[in-house]
Amino acid sequence: MSATAPPSGMKGAISAAAPVQRPARPGSSSGSTFRIVSAIVLAVFAVLWLVPSLFALKTSLSDNGTAALGAAEILQDWSPTFYSYATLLGAGDIWNWYLASAITSILTTVLTLLLASMCAFALSRLVFRGRNAVMLLILLGIMIPGQVLVVPTFQMLGWMNLLNTYWAVIFPQVPAVIAVFIFKQFFDGIPRELEEAARIDGAGLWKIYWRVIMPLSRPVIAAVAVLTFVGVWNNLMLPLFVISNPDLMTIPVGLATVQGSFGQRYADIQAGAILAALPLVALYLVFQRQIVEGVTGTGLKG
Amino acid sequence: MRDRPISRPTLTRRGALGAGALAASSALAGCSSPLAAGLLGSELSPGTLVYWNLFGGGDGGRMKSMEDVYRQEQGDPSSLQATTFAWGNPYYSKVTLATVGNQPPDVAIAHLTRAKPLWDGGLLEAITEEDLAGVGLSSADFNAKAWQAQVTDGKNVAIPLDTHPFVMFFNRAVLEPAGLLEPDGRITDLSGIDTFEAALAEISAVTGGIALAVANVSENATPWRFFWSLYNQYDGAAPFLADGGTSITVDEEIFSDIMHRVETWVENGWLNRTLDYAGSQTEMFVGNAGLYLQGEWEISTAQSIEGLDFGMAPIPTLFDRPATQGDSHTFILPRKDRSPEDRARAMGFIASLLKQSMTWAEGGHVPTYLPTFESAEYTALLPQADYASAADNTYYDDPAWYGGSGSTFENTVGPQLGLVQQGTQSPEDALAHIRAQLDVYLSTPSPL
Amino acid sequence: MTVAAAPRTAAGTSRRGSGRGPWLFLAPFGLFYLAFLLWPTIWMFIASFFHTSTVRAGLGSFAGLDNYTEMFSRSDFWSSLWHTLQFTLYTVPPLVILAFVLAVLTNRLRSGQWFFRLAFFLPFILPSATISLIWVFIFTPGTGLWASVQDLLGPTPAAGMLTDPRTAMIGIAIATVWWTIGFNFVLYLAGLQDIPRELYEAAAVDGASPGQQILRITLPLLNRTTTLVILLQIIASLKIFDQVFLMTAGGPGISTRVSLQLITDTAFTDNRIGAASAASVLLFFIIVAIAVIRQVAESMASRRAGEV
Repeated sequence: MSATAPPSGMKGAISAAAPVQRPARPGSSSGSTFRIVSAIVLAVFAVLWLVPSLFALKTSLSDNGTAALGAAEILQDWSPTFYSYATLLGAGDIWNWYLASAITSILTTVLTLLLASMCAFALSRLVFRGRNAVMLLILLGIMIPGQVLVVPTFQMLGWMNLLNTYWAVIFPQVPAVIAVFIFKQFFDGIPRELEEAARIDGAGLWKIYWRVIMPLSRPVIAAVAVLTFVGVWNNLMLPLFVISNPDLMTIPVGLATVQGSFGQRYADIQAGAILAALPLVALYLVFQRQIVEGVTGTGLKG
Repeated sequence: MRDRPISRPTLTRRGALGAGALAASSALAGCSSPLAAGLLGSELSPGTLVYWNLFGGGDGGRMKSMEDVYRQEQGDPSSLQATTFAWGNPYYSKVTLATVGNQPPDVAIAHLTRAKPLWDGGLLEAITEEDLAGVGLSSADFNAKAWQAQVTDGKNVAIPLDTHPFVMFFNRAVLEPAGLLEPDGRITDLSGIDTFEAALAEISAVTGGIALAVANVSENATPWRFFWSLYNQYDGAAPFLADGGTSITVDEEIFSDIMHRVETWVENGWLNRTLDYAGSQTEMFVGNAGLYLQGEWEISTAQSIEGLDFGMAPIPTLFDRPATQGDSHTFILPRKDRSPEDRARAMGFIASLLKQSMTWAEGGHVPTYLPTFESAEYTALLPQADYASAADNTYYDDPAWYGGSGSTFENTVGPQLGLVQQGTQSPEDALAHIRAQLDVYLSTPSPL
Repeated sequence: MTVAAAPRTAAGTSRRGSGRGPWLFLAPFGLFYLAFLLWPTIWMFIASFFHTSTVRAGLGSFAGLDNYTEMFSRSDFWSSLWHTLQFTLYTVPPLVILAFVLAVLTNRLRSGQWFFRLAFFLPFILPSATISLIWVFIFTPGTGLWASVQDLLGPTPAAGMLTDPRTAMIGIAIATVWWTIGFNFVLYLAGLQDIPRELYEAAAVDGASPGQQILRITLPLLNRTTTLVILLQIIASLKIFDQVFLMTAGGPGISTRVSLQLITDTAFTDNRIGAASAASVLLFFIIVAIAVIRQVAESMASRRAGEV
């Protein structure tokens, strides 16, 4: 890549644009070639990465007849219609699925935030006997692959008479051990002096947790909240097996199992796929930073 | 002191929460919302009949119009809630899990061969003569073969809607020059193995390729249907599985005869070596093959092909007796708490659909409801009526907890048979593989 | 993992957890942890030694090691493991290498990073149901987008990507790479942004080309990230279920059936919770083993980082 030197004019243009602290020295000429090639390669991949979503969007805006004919016809069709969206949103099923997804995602997120942060608070701020044992259990918990537990989890829920309720989707996802880790790490970094004033005032543990620690933890709360929400919304396996009533299915499960409203209606199917993702795309655009930080945080430090 | 400015918003927040809870509980009091069902486990929409089925394509459309007729009869669009799932193992898992999870549908469709294991698992309610009489039906209203097949432990476990046998499709444009058509457009009598093989040779001469198309690639069910049809044409052919699926009793001699014949047909160029489900159809549709074997439901696809002149007939009797593989779509009542009214409503729904059997028959399935089957309207429905006799010669898959349509059994045996047709393994190896792969199921106590 | 930071807390400033206080904070989470994480794990082990049924109450009759010997003797158990491994082999290299390349290239951009971040990361937050419906449609035999592109390049094979046993897993892998590359991409990008710019500048002064800079600076410094990405990716691949279930349902035949699908089929189609539990235990051990390797690799890496 670095072997071919670009025309000198171009080199000048690019190095002029370079930040001041980066000295224009030998090597930056190949650097600018590199940057151009990089940009091209990136652009190609970006296009490749955007095509599937855009194609789905395009299909969802075609009518079912056109969509059945194949990709070529879909791409040549320039009469967008919202027919499929109107059909799906008018049919009712999808509203029940949205409701199930929204309720399970929100309740799991609230419960996880509250319970995991309380647990992390105790581990970060309090000294008590058995603390090491608890740490060990948490550490073990992080290695337990939740998906593998789907069979015994199904049984537990059956005994608790919770199958075919939203709780069957919510409860098993609450003990997200990783959230405890993220919270604990953040709490460990909060200077203790901040609690002192409250403590001198005689504030109890709860007050310190709720009035001092939590308000200081907004960034980590946001990251955990968004990641939990996305994770629960996207979960397929658990709701697939613990919810069999079509009225109570979450939107991914409904789309994956209920055929009634579709048949071979490809535009409707793609519209359904997009409707399932729409709330998440909106969420991503608003909380982009928290999501990316959350991912890097859990990935690297978890 | 310092608390005050902080606690005031808390108070209002608490107030808001209280109000929210009030609003929520009054919404829940409606009690038929998914919200209430999802959070409190209350029953969803009492008074609505919940019905699950697995019909896609043309069957799905016909079933929908039959459901609409029921709604009209009830005078209430919300009297019925029908849900269609993808067919196959996942559907039966859903029925099982919903019943175990206490929220099964009021009525569901199941294949007859899959209803029996559901019964064995204690997941179904038996249907009594009183239930039938309550909606003006009796066991005498049904095709005897299908009715007998569903009886398990002396109980009626399912009400058959249809029989769907494995049948033969033929392309008249190919059979005409081969001299195999009667003046009325029906196929000549191909009974007897020699007659049939001679016909295959003649058809091959016309097509310049294969005569008979039977899917065997990426297909589990078709090779099994093909085999089970021919196997049962031998007098006294033993069941494949016996004692509820704990032993393999297949007659090795017949197995070997049939599969060697399949090999020979492929070697002679009469039968395809590799065709998938769609490919096997296309070959007959475009005239590259004269005959095509599949379930009668492919009638809708064949009818949608422009310019195709096709007919249908039962699988010819090549050996001792007429036989074909088949199954029935049945109505089942999953186990749940039902009031007598609920039960009567479920039966009323079943009766309503049975009485619309004529609509259903258009899709190719042979109605089990005799008032329809014997009607002049059905007898005049062609080509359906031409193969209707196959229903009386249908052989169902042997009962086993891992057996039935689309089951582990078919998914295990089918591919091995398909490989024989592909020429990549001998019939003996196929049987050895089948034995080895089924071994774990034979030796495992039934979980039901 | 900074768990080791705990002793610091023991200093006088922190409140002595006299009595119930700490436990009241731990209990709510602990309850869920015990009920929905620890107890199911223990129960999975117990049930694996019994002929437990999905439709019958209770454990069923004692099976000893039957369920395990059954799994070891079943060819479809091994083939499901092989398919899981196959999926891992198909997806991990592109997911690691491509993510690295794309991140390095993006990191060198002066502007517009947000756009590429959006393009590559957005699919990651989509539900598996959405991506599967999209890709199944793209792979429609004959008329789908994929087939149309193939048409432009030459004659197309008649069978679709997902309907041919030889290519079905490749189709699933392509969809998966598209779906999840954003995760590794942002991990690498974060790692790259931690590398001091001065290092590159110094190298540039020494006359190192961008390629050399990547080889000599970026790659070694991202070693830790790479190890992590690979291990995370392997663990995620072993847990694959959604895409296969949604795109091929394990077919054609069982040519793409993966371990978790074998487990759910055994439990919820065959109604054999005991046998499914045994298969779960085996998969559990494989995943935990890799998780342990990950922990060890992680702590070794941070120890090395501490020494430097």
